Amino acid sequence: MSGSAVFWITQLLNALQYSMLLFLLSIGLTVIFGLLHFVNLAHGALYAMGAYIGISLALRTGSYWVALVLAPVAVTLIGVVLYLLLIRRLRHAGPLSQVLVTFGLIFVFLDVIRILWGDIALGMDPPAALRGMTSIFGVRYPTYRLFIIGMGILIMVVLLVTLARSQIGAMIRAGVENDQMAACLGINVERLFFAVFCLGCALAGLAGVVAVPVLSATPGMGTDILIPALIVVVIGGLGSLHGAILGSFIVGFMATIGAVLLPGINSVLIFAALAAILVFRPQGLIPARG
Amino acid sequence: MFRQTPIRTGAGIALIAGLAIHASRGGYFDREIVIEIAILAMLAISLDIVAGFGRMISLCHGAIFGLAAYGYGTAIVKFGLPPSTGLVIGIALAIAFGALVGAICAGTVGIFYIMATLAFGQIAYVLIFESRWLGGDDGMTGVRRMDLSLIGLNMRDSLTFALVCLAVLVLVYIAAAVVLRSSFGRTLSGIHANEARMRAVGINTRMHKTAAFAFSAALAGIAGVLKAQHTMFVSPELLFWTLSGEVLIIVILGGIGTLIGPAIGATLLVLLKHEVSHYTVYWHVVVGAVLILAVLAGGRGLFGEFEYRLARWRARRRARRGTGGAADA
Amino acid sequence: MRDTSAPPPILEVRGLDKSFGGIHVTRRVSLALAPGERRVILGPNGAGKTTLFNLLVGELRPGAGEIVFLGQPITRLSVPARARLGIARSYQKNNLFEELTIRENLALAAAASLGDTRSFFRDCFRNPELRAIVDEVAEQVFLTEILDTEVRNASYGNRRQLEVGIALAARPKLLLMDEPTSGVGPGMIEGFNRMMQALPRSLSMVIIEHDMDLAFDVADRITVMNQGEVVFEGAPAETRDNATVREIYLGDWQGHA
Repeated sequence: MSGSAVFWITQLLNALQYSMLLFLLSIGLTVIFGLLHFVNLAHGALYAMGAYIGISLALRTGSYWVALVLAPVAVTLIGVVLYLLLIRRLRHAGPLSQVLVTFGLIFVFLDVIRILWGDIALGMDPPAALRGMTSIFGVRYPTYRLFIIGMGILIMVVLLVTLARSQIGAMIRAGVENDQMAACLGINVERLFFAVFCLGCALAGLAGVVAVPVLSATPGMGTDILIPALIVVVIGGLGSLHGAILGSFIVGFMATIGAVLLPGINSVLIFAALAAILVFRPQGLIPARG
Repeated sequence: MFRQTPIRTGAGIALIAGLAIHASRGGYFDREIVIEIAILAMLAISLDIVAGFGRMISLCHGAIFGLAAYGYGTAIVKFGLPPSTGLVIGIALAIAFGALVGAICAGTVGIFYIMATLAFGQIAYVLIFESRWLGGDDGMTGVRRMDLSLIGLNMRDSLTFALVCLAVLVLVYIAAAVVLRSSFGRTLSGIHANEARMRAVGINTRMHKTAAFAFSAALAGIAGVLKAQHTMFVSPELLFWTLSGEVLIIVILGGIGTLIGPAIGATLLVLLKHEVSHYTVYWHVVVGAVLILAVLAGGRGLFGEFEYRLARWRARRRARRGTGGAADA
Repeated sequence: MRDTSAPPPILEVRGLDKSFGGIHVTRRVSLALAPGERRVILGPNGAGKTTLFNLLVGELRPGAGEIVFLGQPITRLSVPARARLGIARSYQKNNLFEELTIRENLALAAAASLGDTRSFFRDCFRNPELRAIVDEVAEQVFLTEILDTEVRNASYGNRRQLEVGIALAARPKLLLMDEPTSGVGPGMIEGFNRMMQALPRSLSMVIIEHDMDLAFDVADRITVMNQGEVVFEGAPAETRDNATVREIYLGDWQGHA
């Protein structure tokens, strides 16, 4: 196989892997917006917390797998506290208040991380089973990154099937479409919202742990990923699961492949796409409401 | 609807006098702080014009500020133009960018407005960050201050520069107050209160909002040009969205829609940052917590809350007098 | 054939169609309004009356049809452009400047009508012409006593008056009123009747109204709509006797009247 084919396949896999991270993060953002009409800028901070808690858990227990399971649980607990203290109160407070309070939370979490874990970047090894390289499509690619891609696809499929087929999926769709109507149909909207919020937090935490062996953890990692995740959500359509999937691929590929083809200009293109969507098609590419 | 009440005038005079005294009595470090406060206060006032009186929550005022700084710096460093020309170029660049962003975003509302302005601000940031010619992320050194020796001012002197900044801050405030009390400002306040109804009585609200945004950008541009002169150095960080976020925080903490409140907010935030940094490097957690509490307390901000309580107290007193009078009769 | 001695209509609507997702909310609506005419539109809920208003002021775009105002086609003009030509409306649900005083509410509309909205220095609120309009309108809608009350502290009835007041302060040639008496008691309906009777005869009006006594008192002509269509048009006296109108609508009101 020619060198350039190897290069491009590697790049495509990188793009796919980044898309999956963005996807895990944007699910929470978009569903929380779609159901709760809440703009949670602190979602990136939950991702960072997942990463750091994962590192600590892996160090204590010596097992990546324990961290992979428990860190999302811990992040969900943090999310529950935030929900009870702040988010529930601000649900009807208007976007400015929501943006400001969650912006304040970003600041708080930034320093909490610096206090607990320090300012330097922390890394973590992938588990023994996932170290090394695997041959795929004729290129050798890090096994751990393939694991991220596989897990992302698995979660994507599970969520899609759940949303389309199950009763809870139907309830969520009804809630996004019209929450008052859903409440009239006897759906306990508050409990449903809360459950979805918890799921969003857990996925953000999961994205954090999973990312560490590739990206390593820094206090600013939550803020760094927040903007691309927001772009994913807006481009796809606020509140739309299908939109989040499409948006993750668009942003993931524009960021990775664009960096090769048009270094420097690619992030301008991403922001330009965001601005164009906001101005001309604010409901996004795949709107949540029919 | 904007009102220049005696309390606002008094608070403004006290603030400026306090800062001027602090600069003239204090040392070099105090003057640096006063300059930082004055520049940030201008930026906060400019944001309050659109956010507090036109319901346009901008997250690109940092970018406007930074573009003006770069316009000034580039004119001097790259083109060898005199600083006075740089001043015009910097402010013109800010107005042009503000008018463009304002016009494109004028049709969006709420969270979409916030994110659209964020996107345009980040575009400006990335373009400058990626420009080798402008020094990339290293920025650009060698930015001179303006030469005002003709009117007997030595801008290299830190006290003189601090006092000039305070004087410009006063002018920026007056310009904002005059415009907010003008026909244009009244109509903008109407759009703030109910944009749909303003359209229904014949106002082209998109054009009006665009003009307001451009005016606000001009004031942010003045702040940016002063910033470039203060540090004599420009870097892409000036355009990054977190600065826009910080200015928005200042406006909220000071009191959105009060005009003088944001200037007070800028003062307090800069002082807080420096005070807290004596004790701990973790000032973010303090600012974050204060911000959350301020929003939960009603979001009126420091000066807004003060005015709100004062108005309530006055109303109660009037009511008591009213019932007392009725009992007499 | 049109009578050539009659003045041309101030407003002419031809074949106005609007549908949402295949459902027609107005269907081939046509009407002509003579200068100074007061037209009341009757019809059950969902007849398309408010949609017609939204089409007339430009808040909705029709699928087909044409609107001519003062001899000029305005179908493609924006909301503010139509308002500047002289069309003002009041809303069925209060649509006011809540955080401002009643005086400021009227003044903002008056400033728009005077075109005094652009100066960066002069204050339109000090403009004597504007003050004259505010005082005049305040008297027309009985709000002179409470001009400096903030809207959020005003009673519901006063807000309904202000709703019409803002439209009047825009100095329209054509005033569209969408159920001005919606939600107010019988005593106030009488007040609205007096208010409308006292408005200058030169002002053309279209009024959506559910109170029959008020409607028959005010109207020069009556248009009845049902399911998006105009089903009847005529003088008030003819309306009561028309069989179609009785069938779809009046049966309901005879019980109340």
